[in-house]
Amino acid sequence: MIAFIVPLAVFFAAFFVLPLALVVLASLFDPVLTGSNYQEVFTSALYLRVLRSTLEISGLSTIVTLLIAYPVAYHLYKQPPRQRTLLMTLVLLPFWTSILVKSFAFTVLLGQDGIINNIARALFGPDTALKLLFNRPGVIVGMAHYLLPFMIFAILTSLLAQNRDLRRAAEVMGAGRLKIFRSITLPLSMPGIIAGCLICLVLSLGMFVTPALLGGPKDMMLANLVEMHVRQTLDWGLAAALAVLLVIMTGALSAIISHVRGGGLGSHG
Amino acid sequence: MAAMGKRTLKRSSLAEHWFPALGTVAAIFGYIFLVLPSLIVIPMSFGAGSELVFPPRSYSLELYRQYFQESTWMAVTGQSVKVGLATMAASLVLGFSAAYGISRTDFRGKGLLTVFLLSPMFMPHIAMALAMYLYLSRLGLVGTTYGLVAAHTLVTVPFVIVTAFAGLRYVDRNLELAAATMGAGRLRIIWKVVLPLIVPSIVVASLFAFLLSFDEVVISYFISSVQSETLPVKMYSSIHWEISPVLAAISSLLTVLSFGACVAMSLLQRNDQ
Repeated sequence: MIAFIVPLAVFFAAFFVLPLALVVLASLFDPVLTGSNYQEVFTSALYLRVLRSTLEISGLSTIVTLLIAYPVAYHLYKQPPRQRTLLMTLVLLPFWTSILVKSFAFTVLLGQDGIINNIARALFGPDTALKLLFNRPGVIVGMAHYLLPFMIFAILTSLLAQNRDLRRAAEVMGAGRLKIFRSITLPLSMPGIIAGCLICLVLSLGMFVTPALLGGPKDMMLANLVEMHVRQTLDWGLAAALAVLLVIMTGALSAIISHVRGGGLGSHG
Repeated sequence: MAAMGKRTLKRSSLAEHWFPALGTVAAIFGYIFLVLPSLIVIPMSFGAGSELVFPPRSYSLELYRQYFQESTWMAVTGQSVKVGLATMAASLVLGFSAAYGISRTDFRGKGLLTVFLLSPMFMPHIAMALAMYLYLSRLGLVGTTYGLVAAHTLVTVPFVIVTAFAGLRYVDRNLELAAATMGAGRLRIIWKVVLPLIVPSIVVASLFAFLLSFDEVVISYFISSVQSETLPVKMYSSIHWEISPVLAAISSLLTVLSFGACVAMSLLQRNDQ
């Protein structure tokens, strides 16, 4: 039976363990054996600024995602199963859509001559120009769109797991829908909200495509800094130290997630 | 006191009254936001001419013609299909056999091994991209299709394993035992008993693996060369440097592909239950 596991184990040793070991080695030894790469990461003004914007963008897009996702998840939860399956397609379609298609669509939507700006000009006069692209709002919109399906799945799962008798009991006792929502549904869906937020944080911390295509120079995240060091300054040691930092951050969050609920998650950003 | 009580009652009943409607409005806003990018690219793709405006001033199939006649776009699309199919094959074989091995035995550290085999799921792609880049450049495999397939397989295999576990859970082990008592060997049992029972999960896993590979951009961006460039890598540079209108046609085709995948998945999952 072990023989069935061996091929994958060998593959992982060759293409997962060894490559990651190289990253750790490069972060420590490249160019010389010192902790200088890590020291620089934690002291240089540039790295601290990028670290800060990484945390800010991740946190803010997670909050925005939660605010958009909750009503959708709640609406899906209220639907009879047939309608729910149909409406789920609207969530699954973006889930399966390439991040590049989305990024392209958002450059068209949010640009100076984009749809949003055209509508704004029609409403508020021809001088209106909203700056929505290559800056923070652009990144947040793009990230929130990428994260939404993950958040909706997490919240919907916890809503559907609730005991419906509780609601019925509250109804019988004369509670209105808002009252039921505030004192039963929302508190009981907290595990889903927490799991969803943690998943979104993990996914957004390592984000590369969205900040690169929809953000400006001030919206550089850790992943973009890694790329800059590999492809432009050729400083592999620093790139490796940044990658190790990122893996430790997302690894710690992932450990909390699997502690909270034993589920998996996907990422392809 | 009485008046105040009455007022709060009124206010709360007003909130009660509006709550369902407000909830629905917020949900509709959410649905529109979710499908907006997909909805926007399709009319754009039928625009004529070289500028990206919405709605297009006139309609034509010009952008599709550009995509299908441009040999570089065709080459990268072909490369993505090739890498996707190879990745699918590799991750199905490796993933299903490992999942079978793990689900049919007990040993110390089984849980830990499973977590380890699923861990690429939790790892930022940028870290794997750097790792693969450093590693493959030592082996002289940067820019090769082999390198791309190996890296993509690492990304897709955890999803295949999860799907395989789900499928294998519903295979009655007594069937395997019965076949074994009647003298069937292990491989024969797998071929004749287990595989026919998990066809739906194999199809779901194949779709998963192919699409994840077909859409993967960060790792491919690091380890591909001009010769081995995939479709997402070329799209990335195209959006990054100059936004070419032909992207609208490509995006629409990819949206149709995603929609097909959605429908296929939900049909398969319904059959699974």
